[in-house]
Amino acid sequence: MAYAYLFKYIIIGDTGVGKSCLLLQFTDKRFQPVHDLTIGVEFGARMITIDGKQIKLQIWDTAGQESFRSITRSYYRGAAGALLVYDITRRDTFNHLTTWLEDARQHSNSNMVIMLIANKSDLESRREVKKEEGEAFAREHGLIFMETSAKTASNVEEAFINTAKEIYEKIQEGVFDINNEANGIKIGPQHSTPGSPGSHMGGQQAGGGCC
Amino acid sequence: MNFLRGVMGGQQSSGVQPSGAETIQKLCDRVASSTLLEDRRDAVRALKSLSKKYRLEVGTQAMDHLLNVLQTDRSDSEIIGYALDTLYNIVSNDMEEAAESEEENQQVQTEDLGVQFTELFMKQENVTLLLSILEEFDFHVRWPGVKLLTTLLKQQGPQVQQIVLVSPMGVSRLMDLLDDSREVIRNDGLLLLQQLTKGNAAIQKIVAFENAFERLLDIITEEGNSDGGIVVEDCLILLQNLLKYNSSNQNFFKEGSYIQRMKPWFEVGDDNSGWSAQKVTNLHLMLQLVRVLVSPVNPPGSTSSCQKVMYQCGLLQQLCIILMATGVPADILTETINTVSEVIRGSQINQDYFASVNAPSNPPRPAIVVLLMSMVNERQPFVLRCAVLYCFQCFLYKNQKGQAEIVATLLPSTIDATSLSAGQMLCGGLFSTDSLSNWCAAVALAHALLENSTQKEQLLRVQLATSIGNPPVSLLQQCTNILSQGSKVQTRVGLLMLLCTWLSNCPIAVTHFLHNASNVPFLTAQISENLGEEEQLVQGLCALLLGICIYYNDSSLENNTKEKLKQLIEKRIGKEIFIEKLVFITKHEYYSKAAQKPQPSFSSPDHMMFDHEFTKLVKELEAVIIKAVYKSSEEDKKEEEVKKSLEQHDNIVSHYKNVIREQDIQIEELKQSVSSLQAKNEQFQTTVSQQLAQIQQHKDQYNILKVQLGKENQHHNTHNSNAQVNGFQPEEVNRLKEEIEELKKQQDLLKGELSEKNVLIQNLSSQAGAQIGQVTGASEEAAELQKDMETLRSQLIVQSSEINRLQTERLELLQKLEANATKTASGDHATEPKNNEHEEKLANLLKELNSTKEELKTVSEEKASLKLELDSARSTAAILQDEKQKLTLEVIESKKEQDDLLILLADQDQKILSLKNKLKELGEQVEDEDDLESGDAGDEDDLDEDGREDDI
Repeated sequence: MAYAYLFKYIIIGDTGVGKSCLLLQFTDKRFQPVHDLTIGVEFGARMITIDGKQIKLQIWDTAGQESFRSITRSYYRGAAGALLVYDITRRDTFNHLTTWLEDARQHSNSNMVIMLIANKSDLESRREVKKEEGEAFAREHGLIFMETSAKTASNVEEAFINTAKEIYEKIQEGVFDINNEANGIKIGPQHSTPGSPGSHMGGQQAGGGCC
Repeated sequence: MNFLRGVMGGQQSSGVQPSGAETIQKLCDRVASSTLLEDRRDAVRALKSLSKKYRLEVGTQAMDHLLNVLQTDRSDSEIIGYALDTLYNIVSNDMEEAAESEEENQQVQTEDLGVQFTELFMKQENVTLLLSILEEFDFHVRWPGVKLLTTLLKQQGPQVQQIVLVSPMGVSRLMDLLDDSREVIRNDGLLLLQQLTKGNAAIQKIVAFENAFERLLDIITEEGNSDGGIVVEDCLILLQNLLKYNSSNQNFFKEGSYIQRMKPWFEVGDDNSGWSAQKVTNLHLMLQLVRVLVSPVNPPGSTSSCQKVMYQCGLLQQLCIILMATGVPADILTETINTVSEVIRGSQINQDYFASVNAPSNPPRPAIVVLLMSMVNERQPFVLRCAVLYCFQCFLYKNQKGQAEIVATLLPSTIDATSLSAGQMLCGGLFSTDSLSNWCAAVALAHALLENSTQKEQLLRVQLATSIGNPPVSLLQQCTNILSQGSKVQTRVGLLMLLCTWLSNCPIAVTHFLHNASNVPFLTAQISENLGEEEQLVQGLCALLLGICIYYNDSSLENNTKEKLKQLIEKRIGKEIFIEKLVFITKHEYYSKAAQKPQPSFSSPDHMMFDHEFTKLVKELEAVIIKAVYKSSEEDKKEEEVKKSLEQHDNIVSHYKNVIREQDIQIEELKQSVSSLQAKNEQFQTTVSQQLAQIQQHKDQYNILKVQLGKENQHHNTHNSNAQVNGFQPEEVNRLKEEIEELKKQQDLLKGELSEKNVLIQNLSSQAGAQIGQVTGASEEAAELQKDMETLRSQLIVQSSEINRLQTERLELLQKLEANATKTASGDHATEPKNNEHEEKLANLLKELNSTKEELKTVSEEKASLKLELDSARSTAAILQDEKQKLTLEVIESKKEQDDLLILLADQDQKILSLKNKLKELGEQVEDEDDLESGDAGDEDDLDEDGREDDI
């Protein structure tokens, strides 16, 4: 249960691009062909290892529907990483990326790591968006890019883990203020040193009170 | 507005100062028109002071002006603070005023006022404005702002929630209130968040996302857990809002390892130092929070994972300590029992742990026994007894091991007379004079039998010792005895539920029950009698029991077969009446109440009639019993026939399934054999092609041989012509010699190659000879070839001997030439006759050379014919290959036959075997060239080869 760091993620993108399926594949290692429409947001969590350190990922899977947009916006600020997902078989989901990105950049903290995910790579025959286009978009906007398939689990682990790696590197570089939990990063209980400046009054208790 | 004014006017006349409305109007005008901030500020302050007393007036007249102030005077926190205070006073229905108003009528009116003013305030921009004002750090702004928003949420919750949701950062701004260093604001922030999160899952999730769990748990710890004040209570209520019916947040709570942080809450130990009302409230809420996480209505996966964590982190153990501690207030104890119940329900590990818990008494008794003692103890509080029953039920829920252990304590072989057992407690309760104990014990015992036919049969073995001198009676009999004695309704309902659970799905128990001749008449009498309201429930349960006796009847008792019981219903009761009585159960309000949730909860002990699990059983059985009763015997028979035919069909189907399975296996085997055969076939084909390549090689070699031979001839020719034209010169002679030597070498080579060729041809011919009857032609040809080769060889031998001769002659010639040369030096006269001699000799030589040339020509001709013969041999080889292909075709055909005819498998196998043997013959001969050369060829050709070697 002990972890070195805790990262908060959000998954965003148009409805039906497979956000919930990506999360289910990552947390439960299974695929559900028919998934209910996500209402608001759903939570999922998993532990991963980077650089020999245990890292807990807390992931909020948001509803893609327009009507939930105002609710899901509330999650941008507190997230350290975002998976922006589109569906390679539906061009419109790719065309909407700019809107999503603007929304995310506007409401999130500036250091949030965004990974562009081209999902449903198993449906090659129905592909409408070329891999090169996704890569070009990612390059243009400074995102990491990856094609995944929640169905076959291809690249799903990598997508979540690579995002974590990026965040981890940013922490090492000192870009993130790890003592400010609003950034979506938390230091594990065994990690907090007595000298670390507690940002709010509950800081000390958080260190000693757990387990 | 006009309406409000009307109301106000009425009040005004009854004693309130007439100047009120006017003053307020004046103040409003000042707020609206004054250009000086200080003026406006004073006016708002005055409005504030009047707003409690003249709430209605201020509300109706000043609302818009106040909202204006909030918008335009943002820079002055003082005036904003007064405006917010005033608005709060208008909108709020707080107790100060309620205390003032003595008439209840007026109270209702003030509440109406609050609602109406809230409606006036409720515009999106106003709420958004208020949210932005909350960012102001000034205490005099933030505090009334928080209070105002809380009040708005109380009165128009859903609307305000929607506005907060859509305003960017709305929720997270409010969450920041928890971090406010001023306790008042933090505490009022808690109250605000309580209202904000009420019944809105989306907001609950955002609040959780904003680290609410962490912050709230920190506050609780800071405040000293259950010993903390009302702040802890507020935190706990907020936590409950966030977690109840919100599985996403529950999952987050669990994944965030927050369950572990709950454990210290329950480390209250044995200190009887004090149970303040606040502590009791806090602990109560803490227990409820645990129950929220493991509630039976949660998704099963989420409950079970929380249960697991609660055991692993020691929370369950901590709760069990409270359970067995002394001095714990009864309601805390009751709630703890309920909490433990839900923490262990359906979780084997937790149930096992619970079974192992002992009370710290001397000697230690199992906690289960101690709890059951309370359940059947009349003096214990009703809710506590219900809680114990629930705990027992949860302990047995999906716990076959636990069920067996409980039933075992009743069985004669395992009864331990020295200590109290659960079984003794239950029997004691079952037959006590307290109807509540009867009911609880009956239901508890029924739970030991639920979905467990083994225990239903085991329980039939239980015998009870009654009074001294009388023979022991079975437990089943004793239950029916008490039933017939006409005790309290509660007792009889309990016993009937036990009997119904016991007999359902257990034909042996039905037989046991029917074996007692008085049981069926008792039931029919009960059902058919026309009794009062109270008794109808008992009648319904009797009908259910009789129905179970029909439905689960294996007709082993002649007097009480399915058919006879049905006839009995028809004659004595009437089908319609029977059904009517039966369905009365599910129509009862107690039934629908009990069906709602597993926990037994009754408003009064008299309402304790139905058990949750039993309602499930009724639902399940009602339909099938009605069907069974309505069905005629013919239909029964038909059904049985259908069942039989279905069984037959099943048998047939399973038979075919087996057949198909076997065939599948066979097909698989055949496929494998086919593939291996194919592989072999390919092998053969490659060896054939290898052979072809070899033949080609030989042909090439042969061609080279031919060319070399031609060259040889040319050499001879040129040599001869040179000799003719130029006469003798020493260099030419030397060259001649060399050429002859070369020729010889070439001939040797030729011979060697020829012999090799010979051998190969012989091999080939012998192979061909061996290959089936059809190939005999080839072997004959090969034999001819061999003969020709032999003649060729002999000719070659002649030729070589001639060449030898020629060589020796040439040597002589050379010697003579040398002698000649020496002689020419001495004198020319002598040379001339000698030259003539030489010329003669040369002419002879020339002739001889010509003859050898001719011979060589014939040899080359013969070689050409030999080549033709070789070609024919090749063609025979090709024919052989064709035959092989035919054979492979045959193999393929045979494979098809294999697939088609499974029955002829054995025959085909033989065929394939024979075919394989054929192939093998072919293959071995082709493959084992070495053998052929050293074996077949050796026998015939050894001598020839030897002879040849001698010649060379």
